[in-house]
Amino acid sequence: MASVTGASLVLFFLACAGGILLSALSGRKRAPLVIAIAGTLSSLLMVFAAATVLVTGQSYEAALWTLNGFGRLTLRLDPLSAIFLLAAGIVYFSVSIFVRNFIKDQLDDAYPTHRYGVLYFALMASVVLILVASDAPLFLISWECMSILCFLLLNYDLRQQSDKTAGYIMLAMSEAGFLAVVVAFLVLGRTAADLSFSALSAAAAGLSPQALWSVFLLGFFGFGVKAGLVPVNFWLPRSYTAAPSIFIPVFAGVTLNLGFYGILRLNADLIHTGYGTGVLALVVGSITALVGILYATTDNDMKTMLAHSSIENAGIIVAGLGAFLIYRASGHPVAAAIALSAALYHMLNHSIYKTLLFQGTAYVEAETGTRDMDQLGGLSRLLPGLSIIFLVGCLAISAVPPFNGFVSEWMTLQALLRSAVLSSTSIRIVFALCGASLALTAALAVTCFVKVYAMSFLGIRRGTWEPRLHARAGARFSLGFLAAVCLLLGTLPTYVLPVLNRTVEPLAGASVTTSLVQPFFTATAENGQLPPAFLQDFHNLGAQSGKGLLPGRGLVVLLRGLEANPVVFAMSPSYSVIALAVLLLLAWFVVTRLTRRSAVARRALWAGGIPRLLPQMTYTATGFSNPVRVVFQAIFQPNITEDTRQTVAVHFRTAIHRQREETHVVDRLFLEPVGAAMQWIAGFLAGMHHGRLNAYVTYVLAFFLLILFLYRGT
Amino acid sequence: MSFWFWHGLRRGIQSTRYPRRAEAAPGVSPGCPVNTEFESDDEAQRAAAICPVDAIIAHGRSAFVDLGKCVHCQRCHLCIPTPMNWDAGYEWTRLPAKQIECAILPSAFSKSMHIMVVDAGDCGACLHEVKQLNNPLYNMHRLGFFFTATPRTADLLLIVGPVSENMRGPLLKTWEAMPTTRRVMAVGSCAITGGVFGHNFMCAGGAGSVLPVDFEVPGNPPPPLAILHGLLVATGRKSVTKNELVPEGRS
Repeated sequence: MASVTGASLVLFFLACAGGILLSALSGRKRAPLVIAIAGTLSSLLMVFAAATVLVTGQSYEAALWTLNGFGRLTLRLDPLSAIFLLAAGIVYFSVSIFVRNFIKDQLDDAYPTHRYGVLYFALMASVVLILVASDAPLFLISWECMSILCFLLLNYDLRQQSDKTAGYIMLAMSEAGFLAVVVAFLVLGRTAADLSFSALSAAAAGLSPQALWSVFLLGFFGFGVKAGLVPVNFWLPRSYTAAPSIFIPVFAGVTLNLGFYGILRLNADLIHTGYGTGVLALVVGSITALVGILYATTDNDMKTMLAHSSIENAGIIVAGLGAFLIYRASGHPVAAAIALSAALYHMLNHSIYKTLLFQGTAYVEAETGTRDMDQLGGLSRLLPGLSIIFLVGCLAISAVPPFNGFVSEWMTLQALLRSAVLSSTSIRIVFALCGASLALTAALAVTCFVKVYAMSFLGIRRGTWEPRLHARAGARFSLGFLAAVCLLLGTLPTYVLPVLNRTVEPLAGASVTTSLVQPFFTATAENGQLPPAFLQDFHNLGAQSGKGLLPGRGLVVLLRGLEANPVVFAMSPSYSVIALAVLLLLAWFVVTRLTRRSAVARRALWAGGIPRLLPQMTYTATGFSNPVRVVFQAIFQPNITEDTRQTVAVHFRTAIHRQREETHVVDRLFLEPVGAAMQWIAGFLAGMHHGRLNAYVTYVLAFFLLILFLYRGT
Repeated sequence: MSFWFWHGLRRGIQSTRYPRRAEAAPGVSPGCPVNTEFESDDEAQRAAAICPVDAIIAHGRSAFVDLGKCVHCQRCHLCIPTPMNWDAGYEWTRLPAKQIECAILPSAFSKSMHIMVVDAGDCGACLHEVKQLNNPLYNMHRLGFFFTATPRTADLLLIVGPVSENMRGPLLKTWEAMPTTRRVMAVGSCAITGGVFGHNFMCAGGAGSVLPVDFEVPGNPPPPLAILHGLLVATGRKSVTKNELVPEGRS
């Protein structure tokens, strides 16, 4: 199987190279088609390569040439890389199909589309290279390529000044993160035989706890830049808003995941740290999630809102990773496996539904010319198909069954609740607080996406835009595909968990399949896979339904406890979706039977008796999210200025204008103090530069003497 | 420190005992004239002539009162030598002229009826009296009546005002938005006959010309207890007082 994986990887790089060449050579008209065909092909190869590794569990390894001074460059596609490759492949598949219809709408005539294709495929290749790199130099080189290509793609559409600033902020932050990661690798590589990951991992075992802590912090915040963690995520909403709509799904669905990949690879795979680092990750993740969802709920620009929501999801994933690190360090492999599989599951889910939502936003923007929720409204009648698919995305991201977000968020919260197994009370309190914060996040996420869907798709049109209806079969296929994946991942977790287990088991040391997916299909009273009494109880509940029809171990996700408490937690989205469907049908049947005799009169909607419902009278997105804004005023700390114009006396006002300005909490608490400190240092140093030659000569002399003094012995 | 709780307990219940007991407090009703049999034709003619709103119709020695027009001015009671008989009560609710059956709401509504009030061009007087139903004295909640702000949950449409042209559309929309098993009550002489506004190019002249009215509460304005009586009639907890109306074709 390894040869098949290798062949598909080689074919993938060939397809990318072909894509680059063909896009460069083809004209403006052909370029979108080239992107679609080569992109689909290469993404399918990505998925295939990942699938072979995940199904067989065999890693693929290959040694490339030796680079002078860096050692041998090696590739390795292990299950940890493969799960990220799978997510990237699904996202790229959807984006490649989607992009074809939109590339002409989105990019102005001034920008040649074929150059976009070149960047697109180069980024795709560098992403895969990051995932399969098995030594620090190759990893860092491809990481740097990825950062620069992201910047170029973001700034592809340079029509506005703000776009450029956003791009530079992103580039600066990526480089800062990159430097931190380089230092982390250097600390790790100081005692290593060479710079391959296996050698670094071996060297890490001999490092002091302080060195490990510094490696962890450098790696966590270096990769945290890409993953969008507080406090290094201020670039993310800016650049997502500025990026071309066709490109953001790649940002949110692929490059964001690279941050988690980096954190997992460096901080969980290469080094093994104590639980203190896990607590840090858990706390940072929970704060990130809460801050992300607060700003997402109050933002009215669909793109910015989704960007903040990406931060929230990143927080949930990192909180899961933190829980995993804590459980692993404190010797609870089963809990660690649950936490890690929850985090990976959520990563996969987030890639898919966020791609769906960003593509839906791009669709809406192309149809209406705006993405301001206060301007939109009534899209469900205009675009019924998109409306349903967007609703699926909203339900999935707000963790509503039967879609995928529910499974992973439920598992994350259950993983946090497993803190009962820990002995330290203080860590249990941290877990409880973080769990509460994540629960609050989940509740706010529902508010946030109810707002998005209700304000954009329901109600009446508020803005002055005119619909431009284009037939977009490819785009619809791409969105429908993602919605179907959302449903499948949400209803069949017992088939997803064994796949994730390939990644989870080597890292956590326990199998999530055996601990969570109970073998109700295969167990009998005799073969002893499950205690007979327990099995009997669950057979009576119907847990073996589908036995013989379906492969696998069962359809129930269940963690078994001790004798006194045989079930710690359990769910089965597969059975519940069937039950929900049956109940819905039953309810529909009963209602139609009951109302058969009564006639239904359809009249105009009640709107307070006014002659015509004007758009200005309807509920706006700002109004909907205002309670959140008021409740969390301590975090938002808005700067409200009121401008009142009066005519005659104080009582007769003609107009009141309220301006509300907000500085993002991260900007306020992190970026601005850091910037002020930098300014202060620069101001202090500027005092030395007064332009007198004699003084400069004195500096040189003093510095020279200082060096001589320092190195006097050697 | 406030002792409102203690004061409240010491004062006891101040709400009216109506409908369990008649309310006898002075001033709860302006009263209204009732059909009177005079000694002579002249006296009946005089009573009819003194009425400013043509609410009294003389027929032989009898003077019939159309309460739907009466404004309680008391001229027929105080300004003529032989006054009309005077009713100091308040149970005046009646059915529209052509309606024979009393369309009370089903028994499910008898302890819970939600009322949507529409001001269809009211001068404010009737609306003011309707508002009094919520105050501690009349306290209609104790009887299971509630005002509601949306017709979607309303069972009774209470109309005040003569239905001006601008309010005709909203009134119809409100009625259409109400779920069935609904009743319409016209409160005040304006809502019944158009009152002093009558029927003209800007005024429909009563709710009956726009909607099928089920109950009428005469009065200009009717006192709160009269409206309360109307609500009780609508739920079937009181019966309609048998007013002898003007016989057909006799006026």
